[in-house]
Amino acid sequence: MDDSAKALPHEDALPEALIDLLSRVSRPGRYVGGEFNARQKVDGHPRVVLSYPDVYEIGISNPALQILHTRLNDDSSALCERAFCPWPDMAAAMRAAGKRLWSLESYADVGDCDLWGFTLPHELTYTNILEMLDLAAVPLHAADRGDGDPIVLGGGPGTANPLPLASFFDAFFVGEVEDRLSEIVAAFAATTRAQRLTDLAAVPGVWLPGSRAPAERQVFMGFSRSLPVTEPLVPVLEAVHDRAVIEVMRGCTAGCRFCQAGMWYRPVRERPVDLVVEAADRTLAATGCDEVSLISLSSCDYSGIEAAVTAIRALRPGLRVSLPSLRIASAAVQLARLGGEQRGSVTLAPEAGTQELRDAINKGVDDESFEEAVRATFTSGFTGLKLYFMIGLPGEDESAVRAIAEMAVRAAAIAKRIARGRARLSLAVSSYVPKANTPFQWERFAGTSVLRERQALLRAAVPRGVRVSFHDIGASVVEAALARGDADASALIESAWRHGARFDGWSEKFKLDAWRAAASELGQDLDEIASRAPAGDMPWEAAITARIDRDFLIAERGKAATREQTVDCRTGACALCGACLDDVQMDVVG
Amino acid sequence: MSHWLVRFDRHGSACYVSHLDTARALQRTFARAGIALALSEGMRPKPRLSLGLPLPVGAAASDELAVVEVVGECADISAALRALRAAAARGIEPHSIAVVEAHPHPVALAATYECTLAADAAAVSAALTRFANASQAVVERVSPKGSRRLDLKEFIEEAWCRPDGDATRLGFTVRHRQDGAARPQEFVDLVAGYAGVEAVMRALYRASVTYKGLPAQGRAGQSIGAT
Repeated sequence: MDDSAKALPHEDALPEALIDLLSRVSRPGRYVGGEFNARQKVDGHPRVVLSYPDVYEIGISNPALQILHTRLNDDSSALCERAFCPWPDMAAAMRAAGKRLWSLESYADVGDCDLWGFTLPHELTYTNILEMLDLAAVPLHAADRGDGDPIVLGGGPGTANPLPLASFFDAFFVGEVEDRLSEIVAAFAATTRAQRLTDLAAVPGVWLPGSRAPAERQVFMGFSRSLPVTEPLVPVLEAVHDRAVIEVMRGCTAGCRFCQAGMWYRPVRERPVDLVVEAADRTLAATGCDEVSLISLSSCDYSGIEAAVTAIRALRPGLRVSLPSLRIASAAVQLARLGGEQRGSVTLAPEAGTQELRDAINKGVDDESFEEAVRATFTSGFTGLKLYFMIGLPGEDESAVRAIAEMAVRAAAIAKRIARGRARLSLAVSSYVPKANTPFQWERFAGTSVLRERQALLRAAVPRGVRVSFHDIGASVVEAALARGDADASALIESAWRHGARFDGWSEKFKLDAWRAAASELGQDLDEIASRAPAGDMPWEAAITARIDRDFLIAERGKAATREQTVDCRTGACALCGACLDDVQMDVVG
Repeated sequence: MSHWLVRFDRHGSACYVSHLDTARALQRTFARAGIALALSEGMRPKPRLSLGLPLPVGAAASDELAVVEVVGECADISAALRALRAAAARGIEPHSIAVVEAHPHPVALAATYECTLAADAAAVSAALTRFANASQAVVERVSPKGSRRLDLKEFIEEAWCRPDGDATRLGFTVRHRQDGAARPQEFVDLVAGYAGVEAVMRALYRASVTYKGLPAQGRAGQSIGAT
């Protein structure tokens, strides 16, 4: 770190109106910024505000936001700030005081920026977007915005189906934006809103709602050669993650048929080990963290995992290296590598209870490797094991649900034998929601009554001493109603927000009644909307081209029905998914 | 190991950080500066860093205390201070280090606060006179654990006020006892109630804290202050 470069301001006076509000709300530190490594840029054009539509502690840890905030401020003429969704107590105080949403850096009104970019993580954050627009006094509907309003741009995983949000956004960027930032910034050289939108529409990957030309998903082929963010913003408040995060790989070709991210981020691109180690070293120095997390959709599949873990551990004494998830097939080896001084818990995701169903979803886990992974967990010194499962998968029946409990019984017996009284075993069970651009996009959502029965069945069958938690069925119904929705879903989101829906991903804030009332107001039934299975052309195909061949998705769906597996194209034949084309190719270490 | 008394200020947006988050920010500042803190014993070792007295959320301060235990001996304290300042979060900035012989366990005896009340100085002055003349000034503290009655006369050592534009700057010293202390907001609520104004503290500032068992700055060892 360079002492001279870091001039600490002794006065970062907050506006008087803000101070009044801060004294009235819980956790006021959420609203004032001041993170370690915060950029001190004071001027720039365009003024960009980036938002993650959830509360600060969740949004600050989002890697995409960190990448874009850093790149826009450090490598472009733009001034980039951030805003997150105010917690309901602050939202109420702001409305009572007539105070508009502000950015964390300059405390200026978000509504006065040129470009307001939202990352769209999942459907249960969509009402928060409306809440933020409203608190910023920006018209909810793009059609009502004028020259004085920001251009509202959506990006991230939610653009796999942007239609439910189309009414609220001026534009969407589909795919990975790193390569296109300079073109997006350049579009703001124009002075009128209309011209800016015209120029934005010319940027590859940008889709303007109403446009007849679908945008093609963009793939950042410079990923392997680029250094990750090494001076990330580190919150002073305690956030959900407190570790140095290094993205080692993008994309996943394991081919799990339920997984949207696995389809969406293809092809696989890996960073070389030396780049990963250098990034870890620099990030540790800049953040003061004592743990490095090597993140990706499946870090165990990263070709350089062993070399990277070994080299990073050698950087600092006592440094912990964590992987966000372990692949069961190779878990025993990975756990032996991570174990020793490790304490705490390990998460494994068999996803389904029977071999037949795991083959149908292309999970590639057999009972033997599962039991070996459980044994390795406890022999490596870990005392906790969490198992992730889904219920409501296509082709699932009651015996498959009972089989989940049987796996828990086997895991509990192994845990008891090895770790005795110290072992903690828990199941986290979510409800499967079919997503756009996956082989299961044509499948029906299981629905409330089936999910309720299966939760009850599983709860009764799970052995004593094993903790089991279920995802809220109502939240899954909402997620299903939006995940494959068309433009009509905009009205549902808006109506739910007007009925008080906010923070739908938070169990204590989720209001199913608001969603049911919203559907009813539109003359529909929420469960019926959620259970619709689209046929023929998918609604989002008019907006985006996902670079996933439709024939591949159809073939994968057929293979699910016959329990046929598709091998990972890293090690087996190309599955002709359509992701690799021309200059976009798999790029792995070695 | 060496024992340091680190004085730091807290201002601006950092005033809205909680006590625990302030401690975490200082730990991170040490880590970023490359100064290793000693760790506690046990299954889950924690860095040996503690703050003198919790600072209310929203309050600024210019001379807060952190007691830390650092691995090894530091040959150049002024370089360490420069490194800490360069690594600090905006608004939580160390400004002096005193090296002491043994790990101190400072006990707060009193803390002096100032704040601004949106009230006429004469009204606040009259409220302070009423407080001074009262035999008791009992307030009730309600928490999820139950309620507790405190006589603020036992805790407020002195109080004063002066005009501050259209408002009034109120100052007071809170005595700390083994069984606790009055909170600044409790005294301000009382004074505001006497003065008939809204009890909204603005620009709360902790001017000083007096500790028992703490060597005066710079006497027990090498002390370096930021220029």
